[in-house]
Amino acid sequence: MSVLLRNIIRFILLILFQVVVLDRILIEQHVNPYLYMLFILLLPFNLPRPALQLLGFLLGITLDMFSDTFGLHAAACVFIAYLRPFILNILSPQGGFEVTQRTPSVTSMGTSQYAIYVSVLVLLHNIVYFCLSVFSFADPLYLLLKIVLSTVVSLFLVLIYELLFFSRK
Amino acid sequence: MRNLIIFLRRYFNFFLFLLLEVICFIFVFRNNNFQRTVYLNSASSISGKLYTKYNGVQYYFHLQSTNDSLVKENVRLHNELASSFDTRDTGTFIKYDTLRKYSNDTARKLLSTEMRKYLYREAKVINNSVNREINTITIRRGSKDGIRPNMGVIGPDGAVGVVRSVSENYAVVISLLYKSTGAANNSNFGFSAKLRNSGEIGTVYWDGASGGYGYMKDVPRSARLHKGDTIITSGFSAVFPENIAVGYIDTFRLSDKSSTSYSIRMKFATNFYNLQYVYVIENLLRDEQTRLEDSTRNLLK
Repeated sequence: MSVLLRNIIRFILLILFQVVVLDRILIEQHVNPYLYMLFILLLPFNLPRPALQLLGFLLGITLDMFSDTFGLHAAACVFIAYLRPFILNILSPQGGFEVTQRTPSVTSMGTSQYAIYVSVLVLLHNIVYFCLSVFSFADPLYLLLKIVLSTVVSLFLVLIYELLFFSRK
Repeated sequence: MRNLIIFLRRYFNFFLFLLLEVICFIFVFRNNNFQRTVYLNSASSISGKLYTKYNGVQYYFHLQSTNDSLVKENVRLHNELASSFDTRDTGTFIKYDTLRKYSNDTARKLLSTEMRKYLYREAKVINNSVNREINTITIRRGSKDGIRPNMGVIGPDGAVGVVRSVSENYAVVISLLYKSTGAANNSNFGFSAKLRNSGEIGTVYWDGASGGYGYMKDVPRSARLHKGDTIITSGFSAVFPENIAVGYIDTFRLSDKSSTSYSIRMKFATNFYNLQYVYVIENLLRDEQTRLEDSTRNLLK
């Protein structure tokens, strides 16, 4: 399957999964599980940065259309799409990652690097999203709890995703 | 000029990032203005259609509880019918639920003609959220069916929210689950309610914690409160009629000994978690009321 087709399918499935399943799950009032930003994290290494940001914007605005939060998801997605190359740069070994595999994954980056990469970007996404969504620092504990708990649940979902779609090629 | 172009090319990514973020922020802030009627997006046709399909499946699984609540409501309405009351001949009016009232003696004089003030329309809920800061409900009824912004919305059990924006076939309702502190500032969605037993007025708001419970404040200390007392709409705003249940008192306390008002934690009458049908209320005299109030305000200026 070509990379383009694979990413288009991933885009549609992640948005559908987010809208139809995750947005309906009520674990606790402070927990809003988000998995859709995994699309940005799994885009190929060699994608130019403007394209990355535009795709982030597209992803965010698509989810915003479904959840009546016009602009919130888009702002968070553009933010992590902009920071993704920097984080990859910091984490990459000297000479860059092996080019045999073109997308970030456990096999191409190594388990610990991949874990750090995903955790940092998911956390950044949630910080931007919840700060904009709550839009007040009057109740910092509420905000902090929401960010931390949602990030933990999101990371758990990413872990499940990795276990489900793990490929060793 | 050449330097400028080189500068722009070098930092092209950063400028693109800023541009996109600014676009996002414009969207966010344009849509946060509560007064402006904006075209919220689950009212748009694509996502509206998807939610209709999804709800068709989900609705099936909720049939039993929906039926139960509808039957309960029917019972309550039957109980309020004029035919459920035994009218005794004591010289009072016969309470027909029509526009006219006649005296009860043989002359049957026309005593008064009452205008219809509120018109109810039913609507199917196709999308509903409870765990955000500002929760919205999308209903399958729009401007074609006479829905307009700022109409009140109630459910089978009590008040639900206010219509925010409308498209041809869908409308988006802001539910009572709208996080605010109840303080009198501009980001405030507190609304007026009163106690059924004693009639004290207060402000109801939601703190964002749990979808089942809200708060009521500004109830004077002199009020006699009991757990389970009903809180109803006050009828002061032109949005809701009087006497619609909002919630039931759960706990209440004085914030300190010297404070003059109670802070009440209440259970919402409406269960926002399994909303299936709502009623949109049109106030037919609203335009007249607001026009009069506005003209008075202009005179006072």
